[in-house]
Amino acid sequence: MNPVASREATRGAGLALEFENLGYRYAGAEAAALQGVSLAIEPGEFVVLAGGSGSGKTSLLRAGCGLIPHFHGGEISGTARVAGRPTTESGPGELADVVGYVAQDPETQIVSTTVAAELDLPLRFRGDHPAERARAVEEVALALGIPHLLPRTVTTLSGGELQRVALAVALVTRPPLILLDEPTSQLDPVSGDELIWLLRRLNEEWGVAVVLAEHRLERCLAAADRVIAMDAGRIGFDGSPRDFLAWAVTEKPELATPSALVFAGAGIEPLPVGVRDARQILRDRARSTKPSTTGGDQPPNRWANAPRRATAFRSGQAGGVEPAREPVLKAKRLWVELDPGDGPVDVLRGIDLEVRAGEKVALMGRNGAGKSTLLRTAAGLVEPVSGSVEVPAGIALLTQNPGDFLVRERIGDELSGPAGEAALRAVGLDLSPERDPRDLSGGERQRLALAIALAGRMEGDELPGLVCLDEPTRGMDRGLKEHLTELAGRLAARGAAVVISTHDVEFAVAFADRVVLLGDGEVVADADMPTVLSGGWYFASEVARVFDRPGLVSIGQGIGLLATEGSGP
Amino acid sequence: MKKLSPIAYVPRRETVQTASLAPVALYLGAYLLVCFFSSDPLVLIAATVGVVIAGYGSGAKRAVNFSLKLGGFLALTMVVVNALVTGRGATVLARLGDWPLLGRVDVTAEAIAAGAVIGLRAMGTMVVIGVWSACVDPDRILQAVHGVARRSALTATLISRLVPLAATDYARIGEAATLRGPAASPVGRGAMAHRLLAGSLDRAVDVAATLELRGYGSSGSTARFRPVPSRYDRRFLLAGSLLMVVALAELAFGSGRFEAYPEISWEFGLEGPVAAIAFLIGGFVTWRPGNRKGRP
Repeated sequence: MNPVASREATRGAGLALEFENLGYRYAGAEAAALQGVSLAIEPGEFVVLAGGSGSGKTSLLRAGCGLIPHFHGGEISGTARVAGRPTTESGPGELADVVGYVAQDPETQIVSTTVAAELDLPLRFRGDHPAERARAVEEVALALGIPHLLPRTVTTLSGGELQRVALAVALVTRPPLILLDEPTSQLDPVSGDELIWLLRRLNEEWGVAVVLAEHRLERCLAAADRVIAMDAGRIGFDGSPRDFLAWAVTEKPELATPSALVFAGAGIEPLPVGVRDARQILRDRARSTKPSTTGGDQPPNRWANAPRRATAFRSGQAGGVEPAREPVLKAKRLWVELDPGDGPVDVLRGIDLEVRAGEKVALMGRNGAGKSTLLRTAAGLVEPVSGSVEVPAGIALLTQNPGDFLVRERIGDELSGPAGEAALRAVGLDLSPERDPRDLSGGERQRLALAIALAGRMEGDELPGLVCLDEPTRGMDRGLKEHLTELAGRLAARGAAVVISTHDVEFAVAFADRVVLLGDGEVVADADMPTVLSGGWYFASEVARVFDRPGLVSIGQGIGLLATEGSGP
Repeated sequence: MKKLSPIAYVPRRETVQTASLAPVALYLGAYLLVCFFSSDPLVLIAATVGVVIAGYGSGAKRAVNFSLKLGGFLALTMVVVNALVTGRGATVLARLGDWPLLGRVDVTAEAIAAGAVIGLRAMGTMVVIGVWSACVDPDRILQAVHGVARRSALTATLISRLVPLAATDYARIGEAATLRGPAASPVGRGAMAHRLLAGSLDRAVDVAATLELRGYGSSGSTARFRPVPSRYDRRFLLAGSLLMVVALAELAFGSGRFEAYPEISWEFGLEGPVAAIAFLIGGFVTWRPGNRKGRP
């Protein structure tokens, strides 16, 4: 279809996206990925898609852009229409000018060599005139704040930059609908927040309908008009963000945001949709009630009996660290230089750092701050240009993709013998050696990969001094993060220092007793977790941002404060 | 910060990178042809050195060194394996007795020579692929493929992206292999190759899905990608044509010049040295005045 005619047709098409009793099963799968899904997305709506891993969010988005059924095959029933066009008749190529899709992993979404060529490609495929293409590329680059990236080679971009470019490519044809699958999963808190508000701006100024699948809902609910929660391939909830929180607190607490859980725990209504809303509610409450009457004149807490699984995750705090333990990581004036392809760059700049046995350390910082390089240098993968790093009691490092450790088709072929069994025990895995690692769940694969890294580095059942995981929470739902927190606690309890690099502040609150914050290759903060994660705007938990009190970061602390003072800020 | 694969494409203002795809394909294709099929050690050595010179001239020092290292290992393996498993040849250098599985093992000069020729072929071929991967923009390949495989994004991806994807995965999986605990089963080259192929194909499918989403293969896709002309096109066209003629002549008339069995025989006529000199000098086609030698 002619691009202009297509856009005109789309404007008059009514709904941006429509599913009628949609069902879908992947080829060879036993369970259906989608069952009886009916919904309609209006033009200009901003919809957040919530749900745990495997609940059907990704399948729903794939059905919305035509990848299901055209690319993934399988069995489909019911109808899916994008801008009035049935996706069973139009493939993703035909739908490219009415829907943009941004998948979770930006690296598989970039197909060109330079950013400019990447932005130009969909316009070329559509047959646009060179002048139109040049203008569209320029405008979308300006809209997303990436004109400086246009001549850059894509291999030199950070994760955050790649994600922005992927979003720009999805928008360059100016589709009326954009579908995003956990676009912030690889982004630091700063870039994640920037991306969400950029989407909101595009939504408001360009009228683009946005459907955004996310696990970290505290980031995006405030920007949303509507929330759809998926559960086992069906729609579990469909309504406003505030109604969603009320539903989630009672029905699916693992989907509720930390501030909503604090308010629910303290019996405060309405539940807040974001930090600003929470502060406003508390201010209004402070004006209308005296602190001494807290609880006395309040309506009964309708969430008093709600499950507290998520609360436990969020407020789970480690015990104190024994200061006398021996150091297992000693970095002294550590300088590391890397060449990403266009000349050497200082990645670590004179870092001094000591980690002691039994500590649980969250390594945080912006994309490109040097977190992965620090871990890789400690593991001996990178040579420092000056300074030194020592790991006297050994190190096991799990890199970002656990799948890279799994090269065989039987667990027994990956790990065998007493050392292999000890490693599997250390990570809490009890699996048949006949099982194929590819059939394991995401959490099990991660544990198996960690066991492979540990095997032979343990003396009997004694762990190496330092166990490091590089951004293990990418794409994890809260349930998987709970398992990871439990695993880290188990390893630390057995004497290993556990260092996890992460962008997920709420995970850091649950996991860490110490936070090291890197900025541009330098340590910019290094203190106990509550101190670091309550002292900033971005690297701060949602509870910390609501209450703005030193050391107050967890849900339990927030509920406690409201119980004693009646209001926060 | 990501570690760049040694054979990843890096845009540079060098000759191979800026020239159009067809002349460069002709030029490097001639080297590939002769490295893959020739059996004359002199020609093979000259062609390998020629393509090393060509790679250095186009700034692909890292890719050339990496390919040489990998190809050298392959070549050595082939020499050893051929010496142990092939009992043919009249000149016995060592009698190693009976080995389990292999039986009686006699190492002959002929088997070593035959293994060395196969190894030279592998090494030369690896260097050509390394230079191609590091110097030829995959976007240009994709554009060329779009003209002939307009409907299949997967075909386009496999042709234009499989090597870059495999190169990226190789770096990552290789790094994970070094991080395995000492008691975990080591990652042998067979397991690595299997995982690499499977992983690269999986990722190729993801990239193909992305291409479809960008509009590749849509019925309205009438895009024609016009190559941007370069002042080096004529140079590569001329050199590539001449080298291709030499390569074809070498394949047609050069077979039998070197024979390993039953005894090593090597005819030193004029054709072999001429072809060798042509491929050696041909390497300098990528050089231009002011080239910074071997710039990484």
